[in-house]
Amino acid sequence: MSEKDSFFVGYLPAPKALRGLLLAVCVLFVSGLAGFGLALGVAQDDPGDGAFRFDYGRQTVTGVVELTPYPLLRVTEGNEQIPAGHTLMLAGGGKTNVEDRAIPLEGQLAQVSGVMLQRGALDMLQLRGGTNGIQAAEGAAPEMETIPLGRWKLAGEICDGKCLAGAMRPGRGLAHKACANLCLLGKVPPVFVSTQPVDGSEYLLVTGPDGGHLPEIAYHYVAQYVSLEGEVERRGDLLVLRMDPDTLEVLP
Amino acid sequence: MNQAEAILMGLRIWGSIGAVVAAIFLTIGMDRIDEDAREAYIFRPLLIPGVLVIWPLVLWRWYLYEGGRDQWARRYDPPRRAHFAVGWLLPIGICLIILAGLSQRQTWPADLAPVQLSAPAEVSQ
Repeated sequence: MSEKDSFFVGYLPAPKALRGLLLAVCVLFVSGLAGFGLALGVAQDDPGDGAFRFDYGRQTVTGVVELTPYPLLRVTEGNEQIPAGHTLMLAGGGKTNVEDRAIPLEGQLAQVSGVMLQRGALDMLQLRGGTNGIQAAEGAAPEMETIPLGRWKLAGEICDGKCLAGAMRPGRGLAHKACANLCLLGKVPPVFVSTQPVDGSEYLLVTGPDGGHLPEIAYHYVAQYVSLEGEVERRGDLLVLRMDPDTLEVLP
Repeated sequence: MNQAEAILMGLRIWGSIGAVVAAIFLTIGMDRIDEDAREAYIFRPLLIPGVLVIWPLVLWRWYLYEGGRDQWARRYDPPRRAHFAVGWLLPIGICLIILAGLSQRQTWPADLAPVQLSAPAEVSQ
């Protein structure tokens, strides 16, 4: 058999005539895949520094329960990580909410306990199960002020607050859309990420126009960059956006 | 009906037809076209998932066998002839899909500032 007819067999030494070709193919294949993988990785958005803060340990604070209808705690007795005056969004384990447990305590003083999620200025508390997570506390609930900030037009992205705060990485963007919608179906508090701060905050809890849950039409716009209008109000250090679904527009 | 519901509806219809084809082919058709499969039943449920997916091909092959028009020696000629073209189309297609996805990505509208359209009405407690 001539050199021209050389034939590669895996369990035999490579024919001389094919060694150069095989080496070139191996180098190109491996370096090509590595380069392709690097290019795809570099093209992805930074997932941010959000995470479960297990390093803080279990957090237990007291405050007044409010429903937007998503449950909030206006903290009156805080701790090192969650100071008094802070407004805390509440969620259950996984993609669940704590409305069943929070509704009977609306407007009352309650003690909540759980693990914190934190991403910059955004945080949320994942409550423990049953009354270990939330229970009535002794004492009269102080009056809590809600300050209307008027109607605003904002640009940004509708996310589920829990994944955004650190339950998932990435916790936003198209790659996370299905997960976000499942969280929102589970009535985990939705959060709007504004392109620029509104009255000092770039994160706003989103509700429906009538103060109900996120309207169904909004699910189609989750994880896309959109513009929308709505009434903004301040509850402690948290802004709440009552979105107008008729104004939703996908940005180019 | 939105796009997701339409896709789900299409899959349900496809799978339902596949289930009917599987029921008929695995109980009646197989015995008619493959004498080696006669009186052998245990393996047949294993074929159900495959038939649900490629039931049109199952029907076509069944039709050819029934008519005695199957030319087994030439069965793989079409895919063999297509190997060269498919071998190029597949990687090119993958690259085009990735490039299209990257080019269609939205840009974070960082320059769009919040605009207050109207002042607050009142303060509530």
